[in-house]
Amino acid sequence: MAASLDTHHALIRFGLGPRPGEAKAINDPRAWLLAQVQGKPRELSAGFAALPSSLDYFGREIDYIKEAAADKKQRGDQPTPQASPTQATAAVLGSADDPSPAGRKRKQPGQVQGFRKVFGADLLAEVRARYHWAISTEDGFHERLTHFWSNHFAVSLDKRAASLYVMPMEREAIRPNVGGRFEDMLLAVARHPAMLRYLDNVASVGDDSQAAQRLQQRAQQKGRKLGLNENLAREILELHTLGVDGGYSQSDVTEFARALTGWSMPRPRQLQGRAPSAAFEFYDITHEPGARTVLGKRYAEGGEEQAQAILHDLARHPATAKHLATKLTRHFVADQPPPTMVARIAKTYLDHDGDLAAVYKAVIDSPEAWDPANRKLRTPDDWLVAAMRAGAIDIDQKLRPSMDLLAKMGQPTLTPRSPAGYADIAADWNGSDALFKRVQAAQLLSDWIARDRDPIAMAQDALGTQLDGDTATGIRRAESPQQGYALLLASPAFQWR
Amino acid sequence: MLNRREFVLGLGATGLLTALPGVSFAAAGPGTRVLVVLLRGAMDGLDALRPYADPNYARLRGALADANNIGHKLDGTFALHPSLGFASELYQNKQLLPVLAVAPPYRQRSHFDAQDCLENGTGTPSGARDGWMDRCVRALPGSEGLALAAVMPLIFRGGGAVSNWSPPLPEAADAALLQRLQPLYAADAALAENFAHALSGDEEAMPAMAGMNTPRGGGTLVAMMTAAATFMAKPDGPRVAFVEDTGWDSHRGQAAQLTRKLAELDAALKAFHAGATTIWPQTVVMVATEFGRTAAVNGTGGTDHGTGGTMLLTGGAVNGGRIAGTWPGLANSDLNDGRDLRTTTDMRSVFKAVAQQHLGVAESALETLVFPDSRAATPLDGLLLARRNA
Repeated sequence: MAASLDTHHALIRFGLGPRPGEAKAINDPRAWLLAQVQGKPRELSAGFAALPSSLDYFGREIDYIKEAAADKKQRGDQPTPQASPTQATAAVLGSADDPSPAGRKRKQPGQVQGFRKVFGADLLAEVRARYHWAISTEDGFHERLTHFWSNHFAVSLDKRAASLYVMPMEREAIRPNVGGRFEDMLLAVARHPAMLRYLDNVASVGDDSQAAQRLQQRAQQKGRKLGLNENLAREILELHTLGVDGGYSQSDVTEFARALTGWSMPRPRQLQGRAPSAAFEFYDITHEPGARTVLGKRYAEGGEEQAQAILHDLARHPATAKHLATKLTRHFVADQPPPTMVARIAKTYLDHDGDLAAVYKAVIDSPEAWDPANRKLRTPDDWLVAAMRAGAIDIDQKLRPSMDLLAKMGQPTLTPRSPAGYADIAADWNGSDALFKRVQAAQLLSDWIARDRDPIAMAQDALGTQLDGDTATGIRRAESPQQGYALLLASPAFQWR
Repeated sequence: MLNRREFVLGLGATGLLTALPGVSFAAAGPGTRVLVVLLRGAMDGLDALRPYADPNYARLRGALADANNIGHKLDGTFALHPSLGFASELYQNKQLLPVLAVAPPYRQRSHFDAQDCLENGTGTPSGARDGWMDRCVRALPGSEGLALAAVMPLIFRGGGAVSNWSPPLPEAADAALLQRLQPLYAADAALAENFAHALSGDEEAMPAMAGMNTPRGGGTLVAMMTAAATFMAKPDGPRVAFVEDTGWDSHRGQAAQLTRKLAELDAALKAFHAGATTIWPQTVVMVATEFGRTAAVNGTGGTDHGTGGTMLLTGGAVNGGRIAGTWPGLANSDLNDGRDLRTTTDMRSVFKAVAQQHLGVAESALETLVFPDSRAATPLDGLLLARRNA
């Protein structure tokens, strides 16, 4: 098989698109792919080293909340003008000429600064590191898988409470486990503050827990009641593990939610002397006591370990294997995943106890994944990254307009509109409006490419065997190098991977 | 009239206009219009339309049932949320019709599956790969549909005469580039049609609209409803259109969240009403969501996924000023699974009534093409004024 494998196919289908000259450096595409998922991942670029951990962010968030509360008190309970998370992230990631920096305008001497002003630079640094790496890495397959799992465990910058932890989650919970076991990734995500806050588990309290009983009276006086929130439990079952047809019931959701009570974040006074990875805390007093039954299996009371045991079993469930195999096959082969391949990948998953490196190897060794008849439409994010790699564009200089572009193309960075993440099929991204915006975006990007590149050489680098005669002719006849670059990036051939 | 190329070039040159390219509607057909507004995330129907006089309401809802701020009382039982001021004016003018205890025929509690059912018009998420609004357009030869969304939603997928639109990028499109791309796209079977549509037809530049260029590019509900009104009010405008919004999933801190979200919805209805005055008498707006939420407040001041929800119908063609649907009650024994408002109306009964009685979809097409296998969900009578607009 290896002899006939096409290097450009590997770079485009499995990777994030070739950088100039990258294809020439690869002798054996299969070996190139396998090397990225077996053994230790390549060390990340320097931009990552300076980024704060979740625990760092948590400490600063607490300081910010205290400062804001004190400030509010001092000013006699005037309503605090506070940016919504959408505005906050938009101001940082969106258009550079944001017309309404509300926090700035309204700032009075002594008044605490707005959330986005305090944390905006951090978010910008996070996004810069992520895209700089995506555009420069030689391990495009590993990075594609990282993005795949981030989207599988989707969290959103749109939810203010979770927004500081969204980018750290990819670094802390996804990246270390991309080549490891699914169970470890699942557990790392379920314990991460981004997920615990995005799906509200930090506020879920067992109805019969000590906290609920102790606080019931006080809470009732305030017209509140402490109790269960099913959100995380449901989405773990529906989206992260079994899949919606995975055979669970409402009672499984409720029971699992009870087991997850107590999974939360540390209290401020517990922060001293913690390892930076430990932004998780289990609370016995909010945990629902007693045994739980999920999918017909009884889990004895065991505090934190109870939900962990359930996650352990979910990770090994055949429905999870099928769900993950379907999503991977859809991502690497076709919008309608071939059932025989799904079955094969699911079997590999179960045979290897959820070892993802073995699963990726099975995907690489699937002829379906190399069949040129199978095509995947690049999502806007995929397209932007591939275009910037092809054009050797320096993202650091173009970060804000790039993020603005993604939002306008319907895929704002790490802001999916639901926990299901961004869609992975062509029908979501190939509408008339979307295609027209790609032409506009291609023109914009073509202005960012150094004019000394020969457009046809760039096209050969970017598409290789997938550069068809008509597209090549069109590029050769372009009126200017810029128009040639734009034609390449807007061409139908460049929309597929 | 400008075609898209001229429009975009013009915009690039001046940078002043905010305009809406990309959509044209050749056929006028009858003048009736339908706009569907989908609130993704499950709007809490019991908070939007509060059964304030039901003795179980205060018991179940706790702090969410603020007796001092119950909202706009519609009758002796129901009140609209305090944020729905304009909607209550519409009610007083007999142009708002809430529908009680309504949901798609789907009884699990997944947002995404429920939205798929609402959009594909069947009882299961995989019941159809195309959307009922797309099939509706196909059942009305000569009519066109428009989705105000950056990504084509399922409800309009399927190959009918449908386009989607979202606020344009400011960059000019180079006419020569588009010309060179045309043959390349024509040769790509999967993209040819959509690309051709993107370049086709004459398009009118639209008047500038405040708020169109929203920070995240996704467009707020107000901006999108304003755009919808502008498109739909054109003589050859789309007969059926679709707007969507997110952010309705209120698991915690619901009071503040829905106060804000329902105010946005109210402002969006007002903006649509203001922009669509010429077509208002022939228009039905249906505000729908995938399901209702738990009858009781949860432990975090919010509500979890439930069953029976609330729809709001408005427009000059609506027989409003009253409440449609059957109230199933909030006593424990009345609740679905002991936790949610039961569903007494299949949402398809509302959609079918509007498609048939307002848009004029023939009964055979309604039952076989637009909503197949839905005989049990008979069109709800009395939603629309008897006067038919042509």
